[in-house]
Amino acid sequence: MKLSSFRYLVRQGFDNVWKNRVMAFASFCVLLVSLLLVGISVLFYININAIIGGIEDKNEAVVFLLDDTSDARVEEIGETLRNMENVSSVSLYTGEEALENLKINMQDYTEVFDSYEDEQILPDAYRIRVADITKMDQTVKAVRELPDVDSVSSPDSFVELLTEARRIITIVASAIIIALLIVSVVIISNTTRASVFSRRREISIMQSVGATKGFIRFPFFIEGMVTGFLAGCFATLMTWFSYDSLVDLLGRFDVLSAIGLGNVIPYSKISAVVTLAYVIAGSVIGAVGSVLSTRVHLKYRAANM
Amino acid sequence: MVELKNVSVTYESTGVEALSDVSLKVEDGEFAFVIGRSGSGKSTLIKLLMKELDANKGEVYVNGYDLIKLKKRKIPEFRRTIGVVFQDYRLIENLTVYENIAFVLRVIDAPKKQIRKRVPYVMSLVGLQDKADCYPSELSGGEQQRCALARALVNDPALLIADEPTGNVDPELAYELVELLQGINACGTTILMVTHAHEMVRHFGGRIINISEGEVVFDEVIGGAEVEAQ
Repeated sequence: MKLSSFRYLVRQGFDNVWKNRVMAFASFCVLLVSLLLVGISVLFYININAIIGGIEDKNEAVVFLLDDTSDARVEEIGETLRNMENVSSVSLYTGEEALENLKINMQDYTEVFDSYEDEQILPDAYRIRVADITKMDQTVKAVRELPDVDSVSSPDSFVELLTEARRIITIVASAIIIALLIVSVVIISNTTRASVFSRRREISIMQSVGATKGFIRFPFFIEGMVTGFLAGCFATLMTWFSYDSLVDLLGRFDVLSAIGLGNVIPYSKISAVVTLAYVIAGSVIGAVGSVLSTRVHLKYRAANM
Repeated sequence: MVELKNVSVTYESTGVEALSDVSLKVEDGEFAFVIGRSGSGKSTLIKLLMKELDANKGEVYVNGYDLIKLKKRKIPEFRRTIGVVFQDYRLIENLTVYENIAFVLRVIDAPKKQIRKRVPYVMSLVGLQDKADCYPSELSGGEQQRCALARALVNDPALLIADEPTGNVDPELAYELVELLQGINACGTTILMVTHAHEMVRHFGGRIINISEGEVVFDEVIGGAEVEAQ
């Protein structure tokens, strides 16, 4: 294809958006709604994950050692813990430190501890953090089996609840996103099909004068891409505005951190990805949908219209 | 050149045999009228010659292409060798007269220079030089038909098929149009004109192919009104 023909077809694609503005507007609206539905669902899901992630920072377990464990053995256990799978950090919390903290917390009753001045009444312990909270159970179990470990305290039920909540949210969100994707594809394909159907006569005329399929499709491709691109841009603007307003609202009242949850992701952190995803998805769906819809009208058969 | 050898066409959906064992030959540079009543098989013949449908039996040759063996991807290339004028004009509504005509040249990747030269020439040939920027909806029936004719001619096709080109225009314009076609034919273009207007055919005379119930029942050259008058 010559450059002049290429330019002509691209111009035709752009012109067609305006010439067929009613159908182009219908496609634009359907694409916009579909992109927003799927986009907002995905954003909602990743934010729920981020909020739950905030709770996961509290993924600490305390490993209490037996009273008469020697200092050397305490060191050894610390090394073993550091080398364990899923353990991300280990810090020693000695009996002395624990006693000091206890004294601070019970300032009015310090005399209770006076008689134990030179004795270690509280055991040494390690505070450990896990990398993957869903595997907290297995890690705690493994730590308990270590020699000289007395007990391990971990937020078992909380972790279970959290893991279960995340599992359900993932399933529900995935189902919703898949359903929305299917609905969007059906609606988009029907709209583009209607748009192309209204121009089947034009297509048959082009065929009758010897236009190749590629020549006929190219302006439809450009037209679909332009419509999809515009829908992607609009979806970005609408998401940006509504997302920022929501973040602002949540931040003003500090709702999430007040109840011990993590924060929503600020829009500045995801703006590039969101914009690219919307614009690329819009353009690709628009272009491909438009081209696919021309297929049925491009068969070489009697078209006496 | 158009040649049909023992061609039969049956529509699968209805089982109707539209053409039955038709043999026909139209030489290069000929002008032939194809007449027949509605449902006689005229439209099927045109679709067959445009490769819009395939024959169930027989051989079809148009402009050196064997249409039975023609591959789908070669259809556009074949169609560029024929020009077709339809009764309902089939102009692209959202393109101007100029763009409708130029479209055919754009399809074949013609250079801009050629388009700028050829399109105004063909428009002046059919008397539409002042309507270049009009849209089809702004033209009269006769003008639309002339625009369709210009589009069919712009590519300088070896064969011009005119399907009831006078069907939607008044009698005076119809005669003018046939005279125009005769002029084009005089320049060497083979013309196959399908029509209902028996009166007009008798007036002009020439080769008449009469199709009835899918068969060629008459294929002869007759003298026109001018010949009879002599």
